[in-house]
Amino acid sequence: MEIQTEQFTAAVKRELQNARSRAFLKVMPPVLNMKRDIGLSTFPNIDAAQAYGAAIRQEAMARLPELLEEFEKNALANGAKVFWARDAKEANETILQLAKERGVKYVTKGKSMVTEEMGLNEILSKNGVEPWETDLGEFIAQQLHRPPFHIVGPAINVAVEEVRDLFMAKANMKEPTLDPVQLGYAARLFLRDKFHHVQMGITGVNMAVAETGTIINVENEGNIRLTKSSPKTQVSVMSLEKVVPTMKDALHMIRLLSRNCTGQKLTAYVSMDSGPKKKDEIDGPEELFILIIDNGRTKIYQDLKARDALRCIRCAACLNICPVYGQIGGYAYGWAYSGPMGQVLNPLLLGLDRTQDLYRATTLCGACKSVCPVGIDHPSMFLYYRSKDVLGDPYWKGKKRPSSEKRFFKAWISAVTRAWLWNLGIRMVRPLINKDVHDGVISKMKGPFQGWFRTRDLPAMAAKTFHDRWKEIKSREAQGEGYRV
Amino acid sequence: MQQHSAREEILQKLKTAPKQSLSPRPDLPPLSELSMTQEEMIHRFTERLVEETGVVYRVQNNQGALEKLAEIARAEGLKKVMVSTDDVLATLDLPAWGKRNDVTVMTPHDFPNRDSFRDAVFNEAQAGITGADFAVAESGTLGLIHNKDQARLVSLAPILHIAIVPVERMNPIYERVVDQVFGNLKPLPSQFLFITGPSMTGDIQGVLFKGMHGPRKVIVILVG
Repeated sequence: MEIQTEQFTAAVKRELQNARSRAFLKVMPPVLNMKRDIGLSTFPNIDAAQAYGAAIRQEAMARLPELLEEFEKNALANGAKVFWARDAKEANETILQLAKERGVKYVTKGKSMVTEEMGLNEILSKNGVEPWETDLGEFIAQQLHRPPFHIVGPAINVAVEEVRDLFMAKANMKEPTLDPVQLGYAARLFLRDKFHHVQMGITGVNMAVAETGTIINVENEGNIRLTKSSPKTQVSVMSLEKVVPTMKDALHMIRLLSRNCTGQKLTAYVSMDSGPKKKDEIDGPEELFILIIDNGRTKIYQDLKARDALRCIRCAACLNICPVYGQIGGYAYGWAYSGPMGQVLNPLLLGLDRTQDLYRATTLCGACKSVCPVGIDHPSMFLYYRSKDVLGDPYWKGKKRPSSEKRFFKAWISAVTRAWLWNLGIRMVRPLINKDVHDGVISKMKGPFQGWFRTRDLPAMAAKTFHDRWKEIKSREAQGEGYRV
Repeated sequence: MQQHSAREEILQKLKTAPKQSLSPRPDLPPLSELSMTQEEMIHRFTERLVEETGVVYRVQNNQGALEKLAEIARAEGLKKVMVSTDDVLATLDLPAWGKRNDVTVMTPHDFPNRDSFRDAVFNEAQAGITGADFAVAESGTLGLIHNKDQARLVSLAPILHIAIVPVERMNPIYERVVDQVFGNLKPLPSQFLFITGPSMTGDIQGVLFKGMHGPRKVIVILVG
């Protein structure tokens, strides 16, 4: 997937003009928030349930290396084959090689954000293995070459007319229709043929259970089940933070994931694989490959503050509640991960230099934090990234501010800590600053400070400083005039 | 060799990272289903599955199940079905039921290999009929252990899934079920599955569409 995080501002401007996106954003997030509230109400104590989720993920991160080893040991004992990859390139090569060795012409894919992060589809199709995204939204987004609008409904905003034209052109649809149900059915028929004959399937992993070596997928459509049942070969890709200690922990996380994501008590399917099919089974994979990928996670793991980002289970509750996402939608975030979770993850995975706008396009209101089932403190992460960026932190590729800004603030500190200098300065700049005052407010200024006025005003400078007024009062007092405010 | 070193390198980096202090887990109040009677669980199961547009019938015994099945077959116009050979269905003799009701009954064992089974289950079967190892009240969920007598595609590829479940297999919450599977079975089943209602999507314009890739309709017959 092409990384477009640096075009944030341009994408925001475009999306704010996009009537369809805006109409959609008025409806979708509030509906999902309402469903979430109803879903969570089945817990005897919602806060306790969310806090317990945070504790599970915190423990999983604290014990990460140990849990990964335990998971691997048990997965191997179950008969799975486990591969490790340092980065996207290694992971893509491993998967491509598996496909080539087996002579497969195409693969079906279950929705997997980590393979989007890896750019797996591009590598496969460039090398003669056609990747078919089979989640309906992902299928549409893939065919239209668009980033996901929402991490749960990647193409939920795409116009039915556009879907119709796409399916007529690329999905063997016979009769044009604008009925979403008929369109969905056309996609079913088209992809069904792929599932029927598929030789290799690729999925992500929602949770990997250390104590049993089991991988778990959570879904509604059935495309992941088909991808894990029909073909002879299954490849499941997991970023290394997906592990949880026990089956019991996994079940609680699945309860939280379903409710926080779509408000469901449970998604239609939760499939738990412990190894390949047994010899006497007629379907299911003969070989199950589990690919554990780092791709920047061990780097995140070194930084205790940043480490909290690895707790994320991709439920998207933070997208639906976010006032910024609610205005701009998912495209502007420019990569696989959008909304507050994208603002937390993308800077760590791509570097602070390439994601400048992401951790600044926030009101710091904390709505994301208030709904997060794993206890991520998004606003404090954004402030952390800003400080690292300003300091030019090399580890996170902070960009540092221009030296002129640094000089300005040095001078500023010097001025504000010396009364005589401050008073002198005020007298000098007041006429310049107050040149453009209208109704007591300055709303634009030329020169190095114009950026401030993109989204803010400044009150006009008072005609007299506090010191001036104080002196006046004192002198009047001395003359016996008393106070006059 | 290269794979090996990636593994070592990754684990090494994780192990040498700063350690994080761990506070004890907070309290988690038990779910309400844990204090339910069996009838209350059946009620909760039915209520939750119906919310997800599942259909639930309750019959007295196997004879009732077979009659209900015949009724469904007539209503849905079923001529050819794929049937699991699990322990629930084994007690029902569905091949004989098929003959009486003019429905061709196929089982995965009728097919010599994956490809011929796939042809039949994708293209010929109008419905998949299975038993279930568990039902879970908390969300109207079925639990299926996949093995030689419970092929994965039977409950997945056909547009209609009919599941027959003895009521004594009703459980309050997932943990009770998962303990029985992951705590007891050696080796573990290649796949353990929760099904909650039909396959669905809202991916085009948020319009709910049942039967995306799996069944459009799920019918559960509770026996007992």
